[in-house]
Amino acid sequence: MTAAAPIVARQESRDLWFGGRGPVLLFAYSVLLSVVTYLAATNQILNFLEQRESVNLVVQIAVAVGVLLTLVVAADAISGERERGTLESLLLTPISRGSIVLGKVVAAMSLWGAAFLVSVPYVWVLGRGVAVVGKALLLSLVIGTLLALAMAAIGLLISALASSNKVSLAVSLFLMLALFAPTQLPAMPTSSVGDFLVRVNPVTAGMHYIQLVLLKGHTWTQDLTYLISPVVAVAGALVALAVAGPRIVRLKGGVGSE
Amino acid sequence: MPGVTLEARELSKWFGSRTAVESVSFTAHEGEVIGLLGPNGAGKTTTIRMLSTVLPPTAGDFEVAGVPSSRPADIRARIGVLPESSGYPGHQTGLEYLTYHARLFGCSRDDAKRTAVRLLGQVGLTERANTRIATYSRGMRQRLGIARALVNDPAVVFLDEPTLGLDPAGQKEILTLVRTIAEAHGTTIVLSTHTLPEVEQVCSAVLILDRGKVISAGTVADVTSADANRQSGRLRVPPGEVPRAKEVLAAVPGVTVTPDDRRDVVVLTATDGMNKALAAVLNAGIPVLSFEIEGTRLSDAFLALTRGGAS
Repeated sequence: MTAAAPIVARQESRDLWFGGRGPVLLFAYSVLLSVVTYLAATNQILNFLEQRESVNLVVQIAVAVGVLLTLVVAADAISGERERGTLESLLLTPISRGSIVLGKVVAAMSLWGAAFLVSVPYVWVLGRGVAVVGKALLLSLVIGTLLALAMAAIGLLISALASSNKVSLAVSLFLMLALFAPTQLPAMPTSSVGDFLVRVNPVTAGMHYIQLVLLKGHTWTQDLTYLISPVVAVAGALVALAVAGPRIVRLKGGVGSE
Repeated sequence: MPGVTLEARELSKWFGSRTAVESVSFTAHEGEVIGLLGPNGAGKTTTIRMLSTVLPPTAGDFEVAGVPSSRPADIRARIGVLPESSGYPGHQTGLEYLTYHARLFGCSRDDAKRTAVRLLGQVGLTERANTRIATYSRGMRQRLGIARALVNDPAVVFLDEPTLGLDPAGQKEILTLVRTIAEAHGTTIVLSTHTLPEVEQVCSAVLILDRGKVISAGTVADVTSADANRQSGRLRVPPGEVPRAKEVLAAVPGVTVTPDDRRDVVVLTATDGMNKALAAVLNAGIPVLSFEIEGTRLSDAFLALTRGGAS
């Protein structure tokens, strides 16, 4: 069913990286991380920010923005092709729609992979001397990959269903902001309702898990329940994509259209 | 008789309460070029999209090269399509683009590249093979699109408005290419276009759609003769000879000259056939530059059948 997925993935990744979009997004990402790292490092020097907190801050921003970029690329993947008139020629080939979807997910994930690699030196610079670099990078890789995969699948679903590329990008950005906004509320997990809200939202749950392991020194297995919602989000989005993909990856977007 | 490569049976498509295509049936044979004609909104693109399995029909079925419409992926493996307003990734080269599409049709990497190089040569783009598509002219993009439609050596090729937006030279190039493909490979071609004079030259049969229904089908001669008015004709003479020609024709029994302001054309009606009228003009020493029976051109038939294409 998905035998042609590697061919689609290779071409989509080439389009992303050689077409210029990938490098531009990654450059903007590295500029942002440079600024954040500089600010965190100078605060550290002035003793305003403890070194672990600096690492945690940069990891959280690296994951959040990396996942956002993955979502943006996925949200453009089908609706953008529709508007550029290139989707029809892809649908006219004998490959399954599942292959098309899978290839596009892989291409979108390549941006997260590159974003993670870019974040490595920043985390290393800030975490030197407190034996936290390895743990921070591993956390960033695991949680970031889970969230990026979920967002890539959700982005593709939105892109397939949206009536235009503008709608797809707007809905995806709103979703991302809605999911990330609670991470900025400082005292959320202190009440039982707050804790429930943190656990239900895959983004806040993932970020909170990073914080617990990095800052509070919890073991990896101690708070695994926080990873339930990210894992469920990944599984749910991928299953939805696999089931609905063949029907919603079509020439015209918009709910109910053919 | 060449084999049937395409057979549509009572194909219909509704979008909500709107009927886009209604009970379209036709067959096409190996090596045949069928012109799919109709005013804008007649259902040509929808018909092509159903036959190319991009849109599921609401009713009816079809077969392509013996493959029933219930196996869409197998049909897609046997057809080539140049969609209307097809887009191209500007940052890819023509060679990369065709190689990628050949790979999607199951070619190995080497075979795909060989196919791409061969097709680029066939459509006259060898010299631009390694140039980015963004730098191609519209005509070159259309030729690249036709090459893409041929990557799988298809039994049937659908070309939706391949000459749209091209200058006359570009249109001629594309139509010559269409004829070459049909003749050289025995490929059936379904050509949707508004360029009617060229359709007359290239197509062996036409199918005229209006408001989603087939209103005329058959060879170009069948379609035009059904509408031809053999009692009416247009005679072109040198501009200075028009008054004398009108005078001579008016004197022929059964001939009526229709008032017309054109400088070099006399429009006439002859109830006993045109021979006497023509003989009278020639006997009077008036040079005849051209003579045409009204309604024998495809465009006349098209306009008459579609009521001026005003639908």
